[in-house]
Amino acid sequence: MSDLSWRITWVCLVLSFLLANWAFAQHDHSSGEFEVFVAAEAFHGSGQTRAGNADPWIDADVIFGVTQHQFRVFGEYYATPDEHDLERFQMGFEFVPETVLWLGRFHQPASAWNTEHHHGQYLQTDITRPYIERWEDQQGVIPQHITGALFESRQSIGKDGAIQISAGVGAAPALSNNSLDAINLLGSNPGRHRLSVTGRLAYLPEYVGASSVGLLFGHDDLAASQARPLPSLHSSRAELTIYGVYTDWNTEPWRVVGATYYVDVKLDQATRNESFISGYLQIERQLPNRFTVFGRSEESARMQESRYIALFADHDGDIEIALHRQALGLRWDYARRQALTLELAHVISLDQRSDEVRLQWSAAIP
Amino acid sequence: MERGNSVSKFAATAVLLTLLAAAMPAFAEEQLVLVVSTHSKVEQLDSLELRKLFLGLTVIHNDSRLRPVLNETDARVKEIFLQNIVSMSDITYDRRLLRLSLIQGQTQPAVYKDIAQLKGAVAADPSAVSYAWAKDVEHDARIRILRVLWHD
Repeated sequence: MSDLSWRITWVCLVLSFLLANWAFAQHDHSSGEFEVFVAAEAFHGSGQTRAGNADPWIDADVIFGVTQHQFRVFGEYYATPDEHDLERFQMGFEFVPETVLWLGRFHQPASAWNTEHHHGQYLQTDITRPYIERWEDQQGVIPQHITGALFESRQSIGKDGAIQISAGVGAAPALSNNSLDAINLLGSNPGRHRLSVTGRLAYLPEYVGASSVGLLFGHDDLAASQARPLPSLHSSRAELTIYGVYTDWNTEPWRVVGATYYVDVKLDQATRNESFISGYLQIERQLPNRFTVFGRSEESARMQESRYIALFADHDGDIEIALHRQALGLRWDYARRQALTLELAHVISLDQRSDEVRLQWSAAIP
Repeated sequence: MERGNSVSKFAATAVLLTLLAAAMPAFAEEQLVLVVSTHSKVEQLDSLELRKLFLGLTVIHNDSRLRPVLNETDARVKEIFLQNIVSMSDITYDRRLLRLSLIQGQTQPAVYKDIAQLKGAVAADPSAVSYAWAKDVEHDARIRILRVLWHD
């Protein structure tokens, strides 16, 4: 099927669900949702000649969804001056309360950060996300967008607690010269997309609470977009196996978010495989008058020796890969669903050090 | 003389009853109650079910998926709701609602700032669950009070 046909098919699908939403609105047991998260950012980094893809001066994240009895459909469309993409499009069925099977393109559940914040900047206290959690089109090194099936369930355990299980299986991104290319629902998809299997097992001390700790697992078989081996990798395939632990602990006025990933990289034409570790810890504290102060430390081991990591550095004037990073910031929720955030950071990348300052306005509409 | 005593007792009782009757609305004003439509099959909801419902989790009763309706008709109702039902600050609860949309495209609870509209919405939907001052709903035949959530 041609690209145009695919686009027309997807546009028709999206429109049909939106129209269905309006039709269902008259029915007692259906409902629709439409939300837009917008952000504008100013950035300066010493030694950097340009802002990276992760620092657009303006971006908008549009969420739309329909719930009809046990059926759910929703999408997330993200746009910046440089890119626009249907980041997620999922159709789900809730078998029993809080147990849903989704089909479509989703954010893989083995990311502690992205499954919580997705693309909406307003709900993220800070401005930046940890480097290990970056999206594929921001030189992210771990596949984040998978197209296939996602199973999610939350079940009671003990008096108040719960166990949360998420498992995803589907098509992984393809590997190009300096990025991962996830399946694009609205565009062309060059290269081969092999299997991705990801999962999360989490414990929630309160069934209805926002705190959780858990284990993360992912296995991604990445094939090069071109048949020949990638020059910098000396391989046409890379198999990533990821083991992680995370915590997201909320006790007002405190919040602690941390994760550590061990990533094993298997290359098909290498004399030896490689591995690296990356992790972060962020602490936030709410202050009077709707201020929140936050600090984050990101550390890594063996990333600078990895040929797989080197693949993502294109030396075009911004920092793609951070080996170490310390950030400190202040957020002010000065009005309902609007915030101003200042973030200062010191970054050590593969080939330079940089001090960065960011100022952001973010909002949720309506 | 005996007749005079009877009249005095009668008058005193009448005055007391009048005072009590006058005081009743004042007591009623200080009660926040959980309400559903009279057509609802819900007999009761415990605190955990209520918290799940207003935090966007699925709650099913008698095969009916319940729908939370937020009462923001006055600041005091909202304050009591945040303190006693969801146990969160205003900003944390608002973010929690936004996360519903962001994570699964789930619908946020309907919000009403007018009590007549809120009662109309609850009365018309057997799956709707809300809360209101007792004085606002106790004489409305379309609304059923499940229990007292808070009193002064």
